Amino acid sequence: MKILIVEDEKELAKDIVKYLSGQNYVCEVAENYHQAIEKITIYQYDCILLDLMLPDGSGLALLEIVKQENKQDGVIIISAKNSIEDKVKGLHIGADDYLAKPFHLSELAARIHAIIRRKQFDSSNIIQQNEVKIDLLAKTVKVNGIEISLTKKELDLLLFFIGNKNRVISKGGLAEHLSGDLADMFDNHDFVYAHVKNLKKKLTDANYGNYIKTIYGTGYKWEI
Amino acid sequence: MSNKLLNKTLRPQLLFAFILFALSIPTYFLMVDWIWLKELDENNQLIAQRIENEFNKQKIGDEKLVEKIQFWNEIQSIGKIEPAFQLFVNDSVYTIRKPNLYSTKEEVNRFRCMVKNIKINNKEFTLTIESNVEESEETLSYISLVTFFLFLILLLGFWILNQRLSKEIWQPFFNSLEKLKNFDLTTRQSIYFDKTDTKEFEELNQTLQKLIEKNISVYTQQKEFIENASHELQTPLAVLKSKLNLLLQNKNLTNEQSEIINAIELTLSRVSRINKNLLLLAKIENEQFASTENIEISELIKETQELFSDYINDKRISVSCNLVENFRISINKTLFEIFVSNLLINAIIHNTINGTILINLNNKILTISNTGNSSLNPNKLFERFAVSSSQTTNSGLGLAIIKEICNRYQWQISYSFKNNLHSFSVEF
Repeated sequence: MKILIVEDEKELAKDIVKYLSGQNYVCEVAENYHQAIEKITIYQYDCILLDLMLPDGSGLALLEIVKQENKQDGVIIISAKNSIEDKVKGLHIGADDYLAKPFHLSELAARIHAIIRRKQFDSSNIIQQNEVKIDLLAKTVKVNGIEISLTKKELDLLLFFIGNKNRVISKGGLAEHLSGDLADMFDNHDFVYAHVKNLKKKLTDANYGNYIKTIYGTGYKWEI
Repeated sequence: MSNKLLNKTLRPQLLFAFILFALSIPTYFLMVDWIWLKELDENNQLIAQRIENEFNKQKIGDEKLVEKIQFWNEIQSIGKIEPAFQLFVNDSVYTIRKPNLYSTKEEVNRFRCMVKNIKINNKEFTLTIESNVEESEETLSYISLVTFFLFLILLLGFWILNQRLSKEIWQPFFNSLEKLKNFDLTTRQSIYFDKTDTKEFEELNQTLQKLIEKNISVYTQQKEFIENASHELQTPLAVLKSKLNLLLQNKNLTNEQSEIINAIELTLSRVSRINKNLLLLAKIENEQFASTENIEISELIKETQELFSDYINDKRISVSCNLVENFRISINKTLFEIFVSNLLINAIIHNTINGTILINLNNKILTISNTGNSSLNPNKLFERFAVSSSQTTNSGLGLAIIKEICNRYQWQISYSFKNNLHSFSVEF
């Protein structure tokens, strides 16, 4: 799956490439408007990460071009401005998601995963991961064919882990995913532990392999 | 108690006028009395000359002279001619008082007298002339009365003039004052003073105008600086965060290293929280949340509270909600969510384990209370960074944001500490 990262901050682009590599993603980087427009018009991407403030142009203008050409690329806006107007405008033009800087790479990976999933499966929306089968429309989870009942947050966590396979996710990253912007306002994210513990228990009870590993002091990892 | 400027100038002026008027009474009296007496002395002199001349003109014989003088003395009261006992070198003048013999009322008249030597038929006589003169106390009381009356007119005149002056001459001053009172630096709207033809006021207005414009420009610069600084920080913060995320992926991390990374992540999230809140404050000040809609707020409060359930459960806090339904206000929805969120964040962070949160909405008043140990300083509570970030993990901006939103909608917010409960009440 091909991803285009339109980001003028080289270090950040490099980190995103590094984090996403090894997850079946092929990443390309465009550092400015000019490079981006070249790549967008020639190639097809599954997902475009779009910074709104580029040295030689506006990300919103790029987005308009993508949508005018009727491309099927999913677009996630990543912006330092975090302004509601930009967000509304971007989503109105046709972006699929909006992520404000600074963000956790795990959050970005999960969102990319969600968008590609939507584009690929269209209406069926079923994710199969080892013994687990998730029906996103019906919101049901089956392990080895047996349905287990997860809370909304546990399902959220499960999808988050699947979107970040083999990556260490910090507690802060998980908390931010579960409670959004609010997580930023608290230092204590102990509740994450409770949710992960419950999810783990439900999965092991259904004979699912012990894929969720606790990493000392930092967070969790879905290891396959 | 402060006095009006005009009253301040009027008071010494009136005092001065009063002293002057008071001094004028004896002055006038002495003057008038002196003129009286001088005129009467002249008059007496004329009368004496006339008597002397007329007697001499009659060519009365010496033998009849005594008899005639006697007769003359009897029929008139102006004067008396007596044989001279001694010769005066100078005429003698004096004032006497004697009761009126012909009046039934008891009254004393004052007379101006003159004693003069005259010659009739070359014989020396002493002529005494008495002229009625106005009594001094009468003169004094008339002068006092008139002076007092004039003083009253002066007082009245000053008062009326003062009223008019303060209305007309001071009008530009009061106009400027009114404009200054309504001035709000945070709106960054300059004041334009009306032109005036009074030099002092025009100078004052121009100086004020310069001062205000300078203030606005400094304020704007400062605001823009904070805004730009926060913006510029976002990208490096994003890089730092992603670097840490990548560092975590390292398989050879020791426990110690993991702990350090964890600590860095916590600190980093504190920095990004402060930065985010500074940006938010700037946005509220810039009125970027302009659109309003009519919102049923109890529903919104419940929804917002729901978002915090993880953090509330984490501290085993019990929440009790008592919300009046169907209470609507016109407000920007995002801003109100930020408002309620910040109040709740505050109530959660500063709560104790197993504490309580009370949310009450009644009579247009929203009160959010939480368990706590000691009262906070209500004077500095809403200031930015009033609680230094080293003492708390909070950003130090939550209450400043709450206050800013209250200011924006002119809500009253108050803090109290009672029965181990911190309470914040907002009146919509």
